[in-house]
Amino acid sequence: MDPKDYKYIGKNVQRKDAKDIVTGKAVFLDDFTLPKMIFGRSLKSPYPHAFIKEIDVEEARNLKGVHAVLTYKDVSQDYKMGWPPQKPILSQKMLYVGDTVALVAAETIEIANEAIDLIKVEYEILPFVLDGLEALKDGAPQLYEEFDHNIVTPGYPPFQKDGAFWHLEIGDLEQGFNECAFIAEDTVSFDKKPAPLAPEPPGAIARYDGDENYTVWATSQSGYILKIINSSVIPNSDLTVKTFNVGGSYGNKQSLTVPVMSAVLLSKVTDRPVRFFQTKVEQMTAYETRLGSQVKAKIGMDKDGIVRAVKADWTVDTGAFCNATQGQVGVGIGEAQLVMAKCKNWDLDTNIVVTNKQPAGIVRGYGGQELNSCLSLLIGRTMKAGNFDPVEVYKKNYVSDGDEYFWRDGRKWKAHSIDYTEAIEISAEKFKWTEKWKGWGTPTWTSEDGNIVRGVGCGIIGNADVGEDNTEAYVRVSPDLFGSKAHVIMQTNITESGMGQRSNLAKMVAEVMNVPYEQVQITDPDTMQNPTGFGLCGSRGTITYGRAVSNAAVDARRQLFELAEPYLEVPPEAMQLENYGVVTKSRPGKFVSWKQLIPPDLTITGYGKHTENFSTPNFFMVFLEVEVNKQTGQVKVVHMLGGTDAGQVIDPATLEMQCHGGIGSASLDTALFEEHIIDPATGRPLTYNMLEYKWRTFNEFPTFDTVMLSSQFDTFMFKALGVGEIAGAAAASATMQAISNAIGVEVAEYPATPNVIFKALGKM
Amino acid sequence: MDTKDVTINANDFEYSFSVGTKFGQLSASETLAETLRNRLGLTGSKEACNEGACGCCTVIINGNAVTSCMTLTVDCDEKNITTIEGLANPETGELDPLQQAFLDRYAFQCGYCTPGIIMASKALLDKNPTPTDTEIKEALSGNFCRCISQYHVIEAVSDIAKGVQK
Ligand code: FES
Ligand code: FES
Repeated sequence: MDPKDYKYIGKNVQRKDAKDIVTGKAVFLDDFTLPKMIFGRSLKSPYPHAFIKEIDVEEARNLKGVHAVLTYKDVSQDYKMGWPPQKPILSQKMLYVGDTVALVAAETIEIANEAIDLIKVEYEILPFVLDGLEALKDGAPQLYEEFDHNIVTPGYPPFQKDGAFWHLEIGDLEQGFNECAFIAEDTVSFDKKPAPLAPEPPGAIARYDGDENYTVWATSQSGYILKIINSSVIPNSDLTVKTFNVGGSYGNKQSLTVPVMSAVLLSKVTDRPVRFFQTKVEQMTAYETRLGSQVKAKIGMDKDGIVRAVKADWTVDTGAFCNATQGQVGVGIGEAQLVMAKCKNWDLDTNIVVTNKQPAGIVRGYGGQELNSCLSLLIGRTMKAGNFDPVEVYKKNYVSDGDEYFWRDGRKWKAHSIDYTEAIEISAEKFKWTEKWKGWGTPTWTSEDGNIVRGVGCGIIGNADVGEDNTEAYVRVSPDLFGSKAHVIMQTNITESGMGQRSNLAKMVAEVMNVPYEQVQITDPDTMQNPTGFGLCGSRGTITYGRAVSNAAVDARRQLFELAEPYLEVPPEAMQLENYGVVTKSRPGKFVSWKQLIPPDLTITGYGKHTENFSTPNFFMVFLEVEVNKQTGQVKVVHMLGGTDAGQVIDPATLEMQCHGGIGSASLDTALFEEHIIDPATGRPLTYNMLEYKWRTFNEFPTFDTVMLSSQFDTFMFKALGVGEIAGAAAASATMQAISNAIGVEVAEYPATPNVIFKALGKM
Repeated sequence: MDTKDVTINANDFEYSFSVGTKFGQLSASETLAETLRNRLGLTGSKEACNEGACGCCTVIINGNAVTSCMTLTVDCDEKNITTIEGLANPETGELDPLQQAFLDRYAFQCGYCTPGIIMASKALLDKNPTPTDTEIKEALSGNFCRCISQYHVIEAVSDIAKGVQK
């Protein structure tokens, strides 16, 4: 199709659920209820590492209205969560503050809470470890018997079918470093495990359906990912997963293992639907955070500003349990190569380590962000040593058509069709980079008294996961019972969690079928009733669902053309769809309606699929200017620009908001103030609620510009690729660069709180 | 507290509850958020943090934006409450201009924070029909939006403040 003929693609179109959202009609899980539903709650461990010596649940069990109280004594210890299966749903050993001691189901939430208070526990408190590098040491407290030195077994079979991939070793490192004129070496940490903090807390309702079958309604942005990750917990189990609108996820609400498995267990023993929600405090203290990262690395750059050698040891702190963190490590390794795509010599080794902290899980940025936040500071040092302009260096090193890299499946991929040079140049120009950039360690502006300084920085990132995972869709053409129109139904499993993609896909189908967007409907997200789809995680939706639904629509169109041949007496190439019918292209022509072609009450069903493909990495670049008050140590971002080339832009307004979204979900502000602070004496998070945990309020936002190019990349029919996930992924490192330039001293400690600034300035 | 009745007016409809500890009675500790969501089925405003920090549960009580999770229903006796469900014209279904502005400006992503943000903005505009951008930002500083729809929200509210007709 010719882009200039698009009726909906590339234009702002009101989301199908828009009116429901502004009227309060949109349904989220918390608004939904089932007949006979009861309420689940859990008793949580107050200690980061402890053994349950005694537990007495008699009184709780006898409380009126209580349907079940479960402890490790009541549940198979083979029901293990995580990959590799490691952590019993209920265990005798507590591994983090907030770990599940006991589960209760009761008639009301109040009775459940009362029952929790009646449980008596005696703990043996064990020594604990809170730091990834400490956890690796001889003699450190061991969380799991099977993880020697707390190192998690690498490899996640659904992601890595050829075997585990955790170590990138290619080229000749020594030779590579020999070619380098500038080398930086250090350990950088990004390990404060900030909270993604979706507004809607994690929750699930489970209903037991006999044998080991369960229906789960969840606050998951991907029912299918929930299903595959949790299917390894109870042997031979099958979960059917349904979702509603999801109140923010940012990648963080996918598998929901703890709430889901809690609800599942309770539903089986009570044979009642059980609703299990975490409170906000539980979400913040016991639910999944960002990964912790400690990276010891050496990076070499040649005299032309090309990275030639990378040696790095990446310690990934996954908290008290590993739920497919291996996938994030694989993607992190991949993303590092995209940023340093001309480098042929790598030794990037990784260890996933368990510690006695709340689990880390999937968050927007998916491993790549955490690694990038560390490696970019060292790339910056080599640039500084060579006195290079960072924009020029990033431009030279970033992946483009023909570059090769290893992705998280462990296989080698070659970049296809993409080139982001223009996007980098236009973004830099719009930000006025050349005007503002005064060199390394040089502020762009200094107040008269010298106390307030400004500096600029930039960061770059990309992800090839935009083509990940196989996806299918049906497109059904259903003529209306009365009248001459038809509805086109997209049958595909996709949850709306804010990106507007359910509507964007309807736009694509509307283009192919040449019907108004309003006539395209989408089935509710449900893993049984829809064909396979991994949801929108990782910005994959544009390509994966985009290709699946547009192919399905093309297939439906083909069938209609075939049916129309006897009527129109021209070959399919001479036909097109118009006005709920098929017409000949030549005018004046003939017309036959879909209603005439399709037997009464039946539909035409087209099928389309996407097969996994990692060859079109996306791109996002952040430019920003910060202002530092040297008297107070306060840093604020005053202006920010997000630049990308999304291929064909599907919906400018929603894409722009995805760009803005890079400020949220523990992204930009992990460089400034977002962190979980844990009391080293007790192992308890002090940032346990939204009053203690710092987040950016409405009146503190910087001005924000976007650059969104709309190149026609060879991805699928509509030449687009997804980009939202990584919008903030390079923002933290860009902020550090800007701060360092403003104050003239390098800052490399996340987050750059006033203390950190004072330390850098030698004032502490 | 002695047993007594509490009468609230929610979206122009009067509801009386008897207060007490028996099954079905309204307990003295029940929050307005619970009453609205669980008893009246007004699930538009959300209970997200339940500690007064996020503004997702914001409704308007006697003209003021209030976090309903921090308000006891027994303290709402004889008060007028407007929730997100009460903004559109009940007869014609026509949206409040503020709701329309949120549509026109694409002022939400996941939409979980949206009802609370709309109600907080509505209370502001009712008191001060022409707020400056700074006043809008101040009025919304208690509303959490993690998807980062703030830029578009400010455009939407400011459209109303400036009388922009789409
Ligand atoms: S739910 Fe009431 S303020 Fe957060
Ligand atoms: S739109 Fe999702 S939190 Fe505001």
